[in-house]
Amino acid sequence: MGTNHKTIEATLTAYIREECLSRNGQTELTDETDLFEAGIVDSAGLLSFIGFIETEYGITVPDEDLLPENFVTIARIAEYISAHRQVQPA
Amino acid sequence: MTSVRKCLIWDLDNTLWDGVCLEGNVRVRPEVVHSITELDRRGILQSIASRGDADLARQALEQDDLAKFFLAPQINWLPKSKSIVRICRELRLSCDAVAFIDDDRFEREQVSYMLPGVLTLDAHCAPELPGLADFTPAENTPEARDRRRLYQMALEGSRAEADFASRDDFLAACRMRLTVRPMAEPDIPRVRELMTRTHQLNTTGLTIGSSDLEKIFHEPSDEPRVMVAELRDRFGEYGIIGVAIAESARPVWTLTSFAVSCRVMGRGIERAFLASLVRAAYSRGYTHSEAAYRETGRNRMMRALYQMMGFRMSGRSADPDTLLFRARSEEVRPVPKWVEVE
Repeated sequence: MGTNHKTIEATLTAYIREECLSRNGQTELTDETDLFEAGIVDSAGLLSFIGFIETEYGITVPDEDLLPENFVTIARIAEYISAHRQVQPA
Repeated sequence: MTSVRKCLIWDLDNTLWDGVCLEGNVRVRPEVVHSITELDRRGILQSIASRGDADLARQALEQDDLAKFFLAPQINWLPKSKSIVRICRELRLSCDAVAFIDDDRFEREQVSYMLPGVLTLDAHCAPELPGLADFTPAENTPEARDRRRLYQMALEGSRAEADFASRDDFLAACRMRLTVRPMAEPDIPRVRELMTRTHQLNTTGLTIGSSDLEKIFHEPSDEPRVMVAELRDRFGEYGIIGVAIAESARPVWTLTSFAVSCRVMGRGIERAFLASLVRAAYSRGYTHSEAAYRETGRNRMMRALYQMMGFRMSGRSADPDTLLFRARSEEVRPVPKWVEVE
């Protein structure tokens, strides 16, 4: 589970770097960066990001879950994904 | 539901001009020039999705002084549906808001198949475009006549970002200043237009007519009910880009309608506008803030905005399709640090 969680964080970080940040920029981005305060993700960007998460992890994010506690940092998002992913049959 | 399109995307060969650019001489159709300038005057944006050599096509357009009319032109060898998606992404438009004109039936069918929301037109229609309802906005405001330049400015802004080390630095260097003030009577046509044109960043999707706005404007009230936001940054002035209609009964301040132009999406302006309204209400004694949201199928972003700003769903209004979101005013997230509000 631990490595799995790290893999999710790495995938999310790669998405943000690719889609939300300038190619040659050096914006600091850690798992705990507040994506909204840092201006990296906003209302429009969040929905594209969620579309990516839904496709990538096969989950559906209902409107009522679009909350800061779920989506404000990469760490929180990874936790949300881990908690909502369907358990794969062994 | 308005059917007016925000953007017309042109094919070049045998549509905008006679002939094929790669094969030599082309001649711009004079009746097309009239349509282009007239649509531009009405604030309909225009772009290009054409196959061919970008440099040659650009030279041909510049010869006739037409290049300036087209935003984010796509001249390449991609399927046109892909080019149209790129244009929509750059201009932050939904595909349902654009039209595409091409002489080739295959191209039109391909676009309709991939992007059913796009209105497709045969090149024969080019001279008649100004007569179509799809390109006839109800009102022609100063913002509309200036729209191409405003979009050009926003595009330059997003391209300039590459020069900055971090996202913060870039946003701060844009020197965004948001002026939030009560609506004045001359603003009414622009406010109406903004509410009609805005779908993705509109909390209720309800269209308010000029007469309703005038009524609200003239109703005696302790506080102005309609607030507008004007934006300027180092690239220039964008005019009125946001409108908020409020109703309030102490201690609850209620935002009944809220719309922000999609032109300024992606830089925290909707957050700045909302936060500054809540902050001002709080300073007048409204300890609680409430916001109405009616799902339209296209405005999920606004629900996300309310929730991410600290609002929580609290119930439904008298209209069962309208949800209410509530927050303690002091707990709503502040104006982003890169936007100055005055």
